[in-house]
Amino acid sequence: MNVAIYLPLLLALPLTLTAARLAARGTPGLIARGLTGSAFVAAVSSTWSLVLLALTLLDDLPPLSALDDHPTLELPEPVPGPVALLAALLLAWGAVRLVRDIHLRITTHRRLRAAGTPQDGLVVADWSAPLAVAVPGRPGHLLVTSGILRLLDTDERRVLFAHEHAHLAHRHHRLVALTGAAAAVNPLLIPVRTTVAYLVERWADEDAAAVVGDRGLTAKAVARAALATVGPGPKAALGMHGGAVVNRVRALIAPSPAPRRGRLLGPTLLAAGCLSATAVATAEFVALARAWL
Amino acid sequence: MGNAPAGRRARGSLESEVMGLLWGRSEPLTAADVQSAIGGDLAYNTVQTILIRLHEKNLVHRRKAGRGHVYWPVEDAATAAAKRMRAALADPVDRHAVLQQFAASLDEDDAATLRGLLQP
Repeated sequence: MNVAIYLPLLLALPLTLTAARLAARGTPGLIARGLTGSAFVAAVSSTWSLVLLALTLLDDLPPLSALDDHPTLELPEPVPGPVALLAALLLAWGAVRLVRDIHLRITTHRRLRAAGTPQDGLVVADWSAPLAVAVPGRPGHLLVTSGILRLLDTDERRVLFAHEHAHLAHRHHRLVALTGAAAAVNPLLIPVRTTVAYLVERWADEDAAAVVGDRGLTAKAVARAALATVGPGPKAALGMHGGAVVNRVRALIAPSPAPRRGRLLGPTLLAAGCLSATAVATAEFVALARAWL
Repeated sequence: MGNAPAGRRARGSLESEVMGLLWGRSEPLTAADVQSAIGGDLAYNTVQTILIRLHEKNLVHRRKAGRGHVYWPVEDAATAAAKRMRAALADPVDRHAVLQQFAASLDEDDAATLRGLLQP
């Protein structure tokens, strides 16, 4: 009970370190799904490792010590006490972060939904700040400000609607929520969450470009909407940093990307590694618990 | 990559486009204005039907102008929506939950880069 149980805790690192580079090429949808899947597996296995480590604390509890069938049999200490204690603390911290993450997400979505009753899938807010949000739900709708509608011309508005509809159609909020939860329980995965948030925007950009049939127009609409947030006026207090928008516009000016399934090899291997290490660690834990009882 | 074939509009998106146009322009528009702005293969009668439907739903105002009507958006609901949207976004929100927005805040360097990219 040593290597296998610690491995899933570390396997999130290579994923984190390569996520941004993976996102640079290939179709965004494919990479976003792959990254989300492996982040989810990495988060589940690292949490399970922490659970197993923390469970080793139980043998010190009086009621369970009494159950010990072999008081004379000296079993090697499976995990040093301080490590098990640290695992328990990390587990508790992760649980708090997860609950907070889910709560905040639900509250935010509820408040955005409550902004207005959608008509034909659209709520307009008469506000000069150039904002547009896809509000998930059944069926989900768009919440856009009059500011962004006035800013864009008719063709650019079509890009905007297509972009936001793509978020709803592909249920991007699920990918974002999954990576958010993964990053909450395993903070090593925070950069993966950021990358997936960027990739779903890229994905929606590519979809919008396909719908309007014009990459240049899509690039222009994204850039104009972003440029409107510069200078005084109601700043978008939320949203991605500007560098991400620059990359999105660059990608739209370039030819449409080809799917590169090979890029998913790394994340897939990592997820498989996490799962195998978890299986081995669990088997070892069960064997140890049997021997001890 | 999209589920909907290119060129086909999602359900309700034509209505959204018309609403977007009425909000985007500062002056009331006739059905012919809307038709020429949205363009494409859109029939005048379709535009007329959409505008009448939007009026029945109390989403747009209209008044007589010449032989037809001019239309402009009803602001009450949008003002209320803006108030609630502002309030929702002013509080600590889950940044990642509302990341799904079109634009983002830029600093001057990014803005300069973007302007450069937009130059033909």
